[in-house]
Amino acid sequence: MKLRTGKFFIREGFRSLKRNRTMSAAATTSVVAALLVIGIFFLIMLNIDYAATKLESQIEMMVYLNDGLSENIINTMSTEIKSINGVKAVEFISKDVALKNLEKNWGENSYLLEGLDGDNPLPDSFLITLSDPNQASGVALSVSAISNIEKVVYGKEELAKLLSTTYVLRMSSLVIILILLFISIFIIANTIKLTLYARRREIGIMKFVGATDWFVRMPFIIEGIIVGIIGAVSASIVLGAAYYYCAGIVKNQMIGFMSISLMPFNQIITSMVMLLIIVGILIGAIGSLISVRKFIRV
Amino acid sequence: MFNLPWNCYSKGCDKLIQFRNVSKEFPDGNKVLRNINLTINNGEFVFLVGSSGAGKSTIIKLLLKEIEPTTGSIMVNEKDITKYKRREIPFHRRNIGVVFQDFRLLQEKTVYENVAFAMEVIEAPPKEIRRQVPIVLSMVGLSKKAGLYPSQLSGGEQQRVSLARAMVNSPSILIADEPTGNLDPEMSWDIMKTLSEINQRGTTILMATHAREIVDGMKKRVVAVESGIITRDEKRGGYGNEA
Repeated sequence: MKLRTGKFFIREGFRSLKRNRTMSAAATTSVVAALLVIGIFFLIMLNIDYAATKLESQIEMMVYLNDGLSENIINTMSTEIKSINGVKAVEFISKDVALKNLEKNWGENSYLLEGLDGDNPLPDSFLITLSDPNQASGVALSVSAISNIEKVVYGKEELAKLLSTTYVLRMSSLVIILILLFISIFIIANTIKLTLYARRREIGIMKFVGATDWFVRMPFIIEGIIVGIIGAVSASIVLGAAYYYCAGIVKNQMIGFMSISLMPFNQIITSMVMLLIIVGILIGAIGSLISVRKFIRV
Repeated sequence: MFNLPWNCYSKGCDKLIQFRNVSKEFPDGNKVLRNINLTINNGEFVFLVGSSGAGKSTIIKLLLKEIEPTTGSIMVNEKDITKYKRREIPFHRRNIGVVFQDFRLLQEKTVYENVAFAMEVIEAPPKEIRRQVPIVLSMVGLSKKAGLYPSQLSGGEQQRVSLARAMVNSPSILIADEPTGNLDPEMSWDIMKTLSEINQRGTTILMATHAREIVDGMKKRVVAVESGIITRDEKRGGYGNEA
């Protein structure tokens, strides 16, 4: 495509937007509406992902050791575990510390421990934090291969449940966004069809003086892209402001024993604006392309 | 981008347009053309006469490749246009200028812009556009009205704008579909004068019309179509008794 042709398309695109103000406003409004809905779902998806990642990072693994190991051996074991792929951190918990923790956890009932008479039945242990919960079973296998280890314990079933739940949530929000995308393309195609109907004369003239199909299409596609960008910017402003407000309110609210908070505004805003602009351009361009097809067959 | 060899130097190119055994039947069973044979030579001025629905418009649409014949072939410049692919159609149309009864001008563009538009959409260089548009506007006598909008012009002037637009890319064929249909007699003769001048510069003209006085007055070749067949083809004919 020649440069001057590009200029011609952009000039014609803007001109026709100005000329068909009412229809352009209608098309932009539908783009904004569609993008708001898509944006809301995107924000929900990101926050589910955020919460899931947070939950997953809290998955821990307990490694119980044989009794009577020297400090030296324990240190070697610790470094050995640290080197395993998927292990984020290793914390040594001696049997004394473990007993104190137990006392603390039992609270009022801790008098029951008095019956032990200074005899500590708890083993020494390592507390492992995982970098990726999906690798839990592999890590467990590698750890149990190390000598002097009595037992490896982690919430295997709970972990599997959590992983499958977050997977389903992620996938379903993705599917919903895709469906919304198709619906909005359809709506925008129909709105643009109305502007095209008003201009079928112009298209007819272009065709009989020998304009190629692409040449006829391009100004309309540019028009669709401009509508998409304007819609994306408006939707971004509305959604951004609303999210900023909501994130402020929800911050560190306690619901029951769970502390919930939304993903911080500055972490989410860039990806949201980028997504809305890309989706806006996409639905504007594809919408135009679909609707211009009918009129171009002259 | 590819170019069709419009500048044909071989002998056979005297025959610019040839309809060979062309029939057109619409899906509803309506046979609008029955085995038409018609040859138009380079530089001719041909009137196409006949009543409404006789098949004149079908012949024009076939030439512009808006529709395809059911059978037969249509040669333009020795090329069978029925064999052109869809993407070749625009390049075929660039060699044919068209004017219609209803002018088909863009109301929100000035006279100059309407004519320039025809060059812009085939991606002509801006320098060429600035050079060519004033030339055709002066040819149709509208140099002084270049900045006006179609609504500010008379019907005859509007038709001359559309003539300028049809000619601005120097096509070898000019098709005029009832160009005087919406004009009073005086304006009609104005248009015919311009058409004659265009023809004298070498452009082949095919004009479909109902205007008896014009056909009789011009003394050009007349092809009469009735019920899908050519009933008469005279070198210096008149409108005749048909219709």
